[in-house]
Amino acid sequence: MGTCCARKAGNEHAAPGSCWHCGGPLPAEDRLIATVAGERRAVCGETCRAAAERIDALGLASYYDMRAAPGPKPEAEGAAEAAVWQRPEIARHVIRDLGDGRRETLLVVDGVRCAACVMVVERALFAEPGVEDVEINGASKRARVVWREAETSLPRLLDALARIGYRALPLDAEALDDVRRHESRSALKRLVVAGFGAMQAMMYAGVLYLGDPASLDVAARDLFRWLGFLVATPVVLYSAQPFFAGAMRCLKTRRLGMDVPVALAVAAIYVASLIEAMRGGVHVYFEGVSMFVFFLLIGRYVEMRARHRASDLTDALARLTPPYADRRLANGDLERVGVRELMPGDRVHVAEGGVIPADGVLLSERCRVDEALLTGESAPVERRRGETLVAGSVLVDGPVDLRVERVGTETALAGIAELVARAQAAKPKLALEGEKTASRFVLRVLLLTAATAAAWAWFDPSRAFAAALAVLVVSCPCAFALAVPVAVTRALAVLARRGVLVVKPDAIEGLAGATHVVFDKTGTLTEPDLEVVRVDARDSMSSADALRLAAALARESRHPVARAIAAACPNAPLPAATNVEMHAGLGVRATVGGRELRLGRADFALEGNAATSMDEDAVLLADDTGPIAAFHLSERLRPDARIAVRALERQGVHVTIASGDSAQKVRAVAERLGIDDWHARQAPSDKLARLAALREQGARVIAVGDGVNDAPVLGGADVAVAIAEGAELAQATSDIVLSGGKLEHLAPAREIAAETLAILEQNQRWAFAYNMAAVPLAALGFVPPLLAALGMSVSSLVVVLNAMRIGRGIERRERQADRAAPIGTDRNGATTLEVPAA
Amino acid sequence: MNVLLVMIPLSLVLLAGAIAAFFWAVDHDQFSDMETPSLLPLDDDPTRPPVTE
Repeated sequence: MGTCCARKAGNEHAAPGSCWHCGGPLPAEDRLIATVAGERRAVCGETCRAAAERIDALGLASYYDMRAAPGPKPEAEGAAEAAVWQRPEIARHVIRDLGDGRRETLLVVDGVRCAACVMVVERALFAEPGVEDVEINGASKRARVVWREAETSLPRLLDALARIGYRALPLDAEALDDVRRHESRSALKRLVVAGFGAMQAMMYAGVLYLGDPASLDVAARDLFRWLGFLVATPVVLYSAQPFFAGAMRCLKTRRLGMDVPVALAVAAIYVASLIEAMRGGVHVYFEGVSMFVFFLLIGRYVEMRARHRASDLTDALARLTPPYADRRLANGDLERVGVRELMPGDRVHVAEGGVIPADGVLLSERCRVDEALLTGESAPVERRRGETLVAGSVLVDGPVDLRVERVGTETALAGIAELVARAQAAKPKLALEGEKTASRFVLRVLLLTAATAAAWAWFDPSRAFAAALAVLVVSCPCAFALAVPVAVTRALAVLARRGVLVVKPDAIEGLAGATHVVFDKTGTLTEPDLEVVRVDARDSMSSADALRLAAALARESRHPVARAIAAACPNAPLPAATNVEMHAGLGVRATVGGRELRLGRADFALEGNAATSMDEDAVLLADDTGPIAAFHLSERLRPDARIAVRALERQGVHVTIASGDSAQKVRAVAERLGIDDWHARQAPSDKLARLAALREQGARVIAVGDGVNDAPVLGGADVAVAIAEGAELAQATSDIVLSGGKLEHLAPAREIAAETLAILEQNQRWAFAYNMAAVPLAALGFVPPLLAALGMSVSSLVVVLNAMRIGRGIERRERQADRAAPIGTDRNGATTLEVPAA
Repeated sequence: MNVLLVMIPLSLVLLAGAIAAFFWAVDHDQFSDMETPSLLPLDDDPTRPPVTE
C-alpha cells in the first residue's frame, strides 16, 4: 500500500452526513451515537457503534485520523459462523499445531485497506489474551497468528476481528508453509552477505591494484590475496548457492538455462583464483567473483520482489465459496458444518442472501439466484424444483433446501478457479520467447568460450585462461534473460497496484496495440442502480424543492426507484413524513407539512385521474390538487465512465458501445458519454460478428464487459477486459480484470502496457548491443576478467533499473495533475456534479 | 605497516558482527513489515505495544 494515511488530522473519511465508522449514510432518525476519544460521533447502526467503541477501547482512536479509507461495515452475525472453525474436521485443515499448546493459522482479512487498518487489526489480535505473534501483510491482506490454545481459540480471534468490522477467513494450513516468506528472507541474507563480501574483497584487491608495486613484497601480496579468499568464500559458497542449484536443475532436465554459464563462471573464477594464489601466479580474481555474484543477486532480488508483489494482489481473488453450510439432519434440525464435510446426498439449507455452498438440486418449490459468478448475468434467475443450483451463486429470495450433488473440486466454481490458476501459471509468450533466445545464446557462449580457450592455447597458452574466462563472464546473457521477465513482472505489479489485474500476461501486448474498444453497456458503462436524471416540476415549485418533498417520502421505501430519489438529495434536511403507507408495486403515500402526498406510478399518484401521456415512464409526485412534479430516472453511469471514454479517445482509440438493450436506452447513455458509434439490440452472436468484422479490417480490439455472460464475446476480442465488483470470478474468461469497478484505469493501463513494450525492446537491444561489443574484445584478450565481471553485472543492472521505470512517468504526471486540480474536486468531480441538477 | 595486523583482523570481526546482526534482524521479522511501524509514533496511547516474545 503505497498510499499512506497520516496526511492531516481529523477523520476526513466521514463527511458530516455519514457514519463516523463506515462512511455509509446515516438513518434519518434514531441516530446512534458512539463515544470515540471522548467525542460524540454519529454512526449508522448498532454494529458500527460497537466497532467504533471497541476500537476506542483498544486505545486506537487515532486510527480514524490515520486511515486512508473508511472502515468496513461490521456484519451483525459473525460469531455464529466463527464457531465452525473449531470443529476438528475443519480445524485440521486450517490450524497448525506448533506443539507445546501453541497453534498457528493464516487468515485472509477482508477490509484491510491501508496501514492504519493493519495496525488496528494487529492491535485487536494482540488484545486477546494468549496471542503470541501476529504478522500482517497489508498488500495480500494476510495475517499469520500464533496463539496458546489454552487461553484463546480461533473462533474468539475471528470474533475479535468481526467486532471491529473485519471479516477474517482462515486459509488452508498448507498455505502456512509460506514458501515466499522463506524465499525472500534467504534472498535478503544472501544479498547482504554478497554485498559485504564484495565490498571487503574490493578493499583488499585495491591494495594490490593501486599500491606501489615496489613497496609490496610477495608476503604482503599473498596476505591480501588470502584475505580476499577469506571474504570471497562465503560469497561463493553461500550467496551464489542459488545459481549452483539452478544450474544443477537445468542440467538434470538437459536444458541450458541462465544459471549454467553463471555457475560455471563463478566456480571457474573461484577455483582458478585459488590455484593461482597457491602457485603465486597472476590471475587471482576473488574480488571479481564477489562483485559478479553481488550484482547478479541484486538483479534477482529486484525481480523476486516484483514477482511477490504481483502475486500478492492476484491471490486475494481466489476465495469465494462460503466456509460453512447448514446441513439438515434427519429430524429436520439444522447443523452447521464446514463445506468440506458436505457429502453428495446431504440436504442443505440456505438462508436468503446466503451463498450456495455446493452444486445441488433444488428441493424447495422455487427460488431466485444470482449466478453472476458463473454467467455474468447480473439479473437473478429463477430456478424451480429439480433444477440445479451452482456453488457460489447467491440466493436472492429464500430460504431453500437443496440436495448436494457435487462438492469440493468437482463443482463448477472449482472449475473456474482452476481455470484462473492455470491462466496465472501459464508463462507469457513474451517470457517464453525470451527464455528460448537466452538458452540458444547460452549454448553459443559456451562454444565461444571453448573456441577462445583453444585458439589462445595455440598462440599463447599463458593468456588462454584469462581470455576464456573473460568471454564466459562478459557474454553471459544474464541481461538477455532478465530483460523480459523483469519488465513483465514490473508491469504486472504496477498495474495490479492500480486495480488492473492481468490474468493473462500476454494481454499486455494486446492492450498496448489496441485500436478499438467495444464496451458493453449494462453493468459496464452503467451501474446496476437507477438515478434521477430530470425533474419536471409544476406549479411554480423549484425542482430542488420538489425533489426534497419526494425524497421525504422515498426514503421510507426500499424500492430501487425510491432509493434513487432519496439518493438524489443525500445531505439536504428533509421535511418529516407522517402517516406513511406503502403500496407494493405502486408507490408511497404520506403526509408532509399537513398535506397528503403520493409518490409513485402515474395512476397511483393521481388516483386514477387522467394521467397525461408524457408521464408514462416517469415517477410522479402528486397531491389532491394534481401532479407536482415528474421524475425521470435512468441507469446511473459509472462515475468514471466519461473520464475513461475521453481518455481512451484522446489516445486515439475508437470507442464503440454494443449492447443488447433497447435503442432508446443505449442512445441515452451514448449521448451522455459523447460516443457516436453505438449499436443496440445486439445478441451475443451480433457482437461476435462485429468483433470479427473489425478484426478482419486489421483492427485490434479490446472488449470490455461485466462478466462471463459475454464470455464468448470477450473471447472473440484481442483483449478481454472484465469489470469485477462482487462477482469476482468474472475474470475467468477475461484477460484483464478491472477490480473495484474502476473503468478509468483502462486508459492508463494501456499507457503502461505501451511503456512496458517500449522498455522491453530497449532492454533487449541494450543486451544485444552489449554482448556484440564485449564478446569480440574479450575473445581477443583485451578485457581482464575483473572488468568482464563488472561489465556483465552492470549490464544486468541496467536492464533491471530500466524496467523499474515502468509506471514512474504516469505516476508523476498524475501527481502533478492532482496538485493542479482545485481543492474539492477530485478527478471524478466533473461527472458527479452535473447529475441531479434539472 | 604493523598497524595493519590490528586493523585487518578488526575489520573482519566487525564484518562478521554486522552480518550476524543483520541475520538476527531478518530472522526476527524486522524486515517483514515496512509500512505499519512508520505509523506507530503517531499513535498517542498504545495500550499494548505489539512486542513479540
